[in-house]
Amino acid sequence: MLRFLTFSPKIVLMIRLLLFVLVVIGVAPLPVNADHPSKIEIVGSTTVLPIASLAAERFKSAHHLRILVNAGGSGVGIHSVARGRSDIGMASRELSGSERKRFEGSHLKVHTVGMDAVACVVSSEIYDSGVKSLTRKQIGDIYLGKVKNWKEVGGPDRKIVVVDKERHRGTRHVFMDFIFGKPTQKTPGTLLVTGSNNEEQAKIAQSDSAIGMLSYAWANDEVKAVAIRDKKYLISPTLETITKGDYPIVRKLSFITAGEPEGEVKEFLEFVKSPKGQMVVKESGYLPYK
Amino acid sequence: MMWIFAGLNFIFLASAVGLFFFLVLESYPILKLQGFDFWLGQDWWVGESYGALPMLYGSFFVTALACILVLPLALAVALFTSEFLSSSYRRFVKAILELLAGVPGIIYGLLGVSFLSLWIKNIFGLLDGNTLMTAGCLLSIMILPTVLTLSEDAMHAVPAEYRENALGLGLSKWQAAISVVLPQALPGIVGAVLLGIGRAMGETIAVMLVVGSLDRIPDPWFNIFTSAQTIPSKLGREAAEAIGEGTHWSALMALGLTLFLMVFLITLLGNHFLKRVHTS
Repeated sequence: MLRFLTFSPKIVLMIRLLLFVLVVIGVAPLPVNADHPSKIEIVGSTTVLPIASLAAERFKSAHHLRILVNAGGSGVGIHSVARGRSDIGMASRELSGSERKRFEGSHLKVHTVGMDAVACVVSSEIYDSGVKSLTRKQIGDIYLGKVKNWKEVGGPDRKIVVVDKERHRGTRHVFMDFIFGKPTQKTPGTLLVTGSNNEEQAKIAQSDSAIGMLSYAWANDEVKAVAIRDKKYLISPTLETITKGDYPIVRKLSFITAGEPEGEVKEFLEFVKSPKGQMVVKESGYLPYK
Repeated sequence: MMWIFAGLNFIFLASAVGLFFFLVLESYPILKLQGFDFWLGQDWWVGESYGALPMLYGSFFVTALACILVLPLALAVALFTSEFLSSSYRRFVKAILELLAGVPGIIYGLLGVSFLSLWIKNIFGLLDGNTLMTAGCLLSIMILPTVLTLSEDAMHAVPAEYRENALGLGLSKWQAAISVVLPQALPGIVGAVLLGIGRAMGETIAVMLVVGSLDRIPDPWFNIFTSAQTIPSKLGREAAEAIGEGTHWSALMALGLTLFLMVFLITLLGNHFLKRVHTS
């Protein structure tokens, strides 16, 4: 009854060859008018991505064009816009010194559109069992592998699943800069490396003893943000503490273009900076940029 | 007509050879900079040093695990399908298997990350479910159809006279299958396993989602319940950030070259064994 599924090897080979050729033709680049892109490509930080997607949706309905938004991380966003592979890069951190030097010729321009806080997050089981705040030193020791059990920082007797991010991720730069004073800090305590915010959020939620770093807008019932404790203060990331500038790990969320933006790209960036666009920033869980 | 096909053939060949030379060319800077230390080093820190040993180790180990896990099951089912099923049932089983073999890696990856890693974590009482073992299990499921259907082909290709003679000598059907068909089909089975290994070694997304992506050799080295990294997973995570230039890109291309050579050799070996089945 399933005889039609069994072809002779030669036919199979021919079909494969045909498919191969079709694929090659299919991905050949089509000529695009560079001055007036009929589509805008946005690539980069998964923290900024919700803003870009929602803004794109609103902007598209008023204009006739396609906007493609892709993830990858801040490093990828900066690299791809500098090398002309996308129109706009998304970054959740400043350009690093080496990036400034490397992409000098691309005249990168940063358009800040919002503010965000990076939270130190833990699995809800850990939070509920009493670890509601951590000091910089404690977080640092956990990532350096000096502290391996939650009981050493006031939690249950359970080993810590230390979740790190890929090294080029914006969230990692900002977080490590705050904890160690060095964005590219090596962390021998790491047990697991993740990429996007979604991936890290999911893996921390799956575990019952994980610690990680996330944009505070991505914290939820299963992945909870702990407060940062010091001799003088104890501050959890909330809209209020971030707005006031009390919470210590804040960062700018930016779109990046190579040179001054023109045409539809410019219009899109102006839209995001306008009151309507800043509403989008708020709806995505971040703070508008004043 | 023939010329068109010959031309296509040439394009195909040229692209394979071209790919190889591209990889060699692109990985030359890092190999000039670090030489053999590239494969022996254990530290991969972009901008400082590039050591590929943890990735090589992870790739080998994950593949070996997949192989060990898949063999008993694949052989048992293949033997049963080839020797004991009627021809219409056999064709049905084969069709289903060939469908399964075409399921994309991402599907397995998502199933792995949402179910398998949690099962492994609970069954073995681990701290976390993203381990070498999880990746090995997932890969064994992924290559099962390939290994199964090809080794079944090899068994089925054993001439009927062999079986008839064996039965005529008073052996039971089981004995004939185990002691006559299996040894005769061995080269084909080896070929099937090698082709499966080729797929396992190159699998990117499914492994990337469950292996933990930690560039470190486990301690102790045989600890399969810890996170690690494989070559394709490393490429998948870092390629977009480095595309086109610089030492980082060159290091990634050198990883790609290493993988290319490994898979190439294994596929070549696999085809060699499979061909022996068809010519004998």
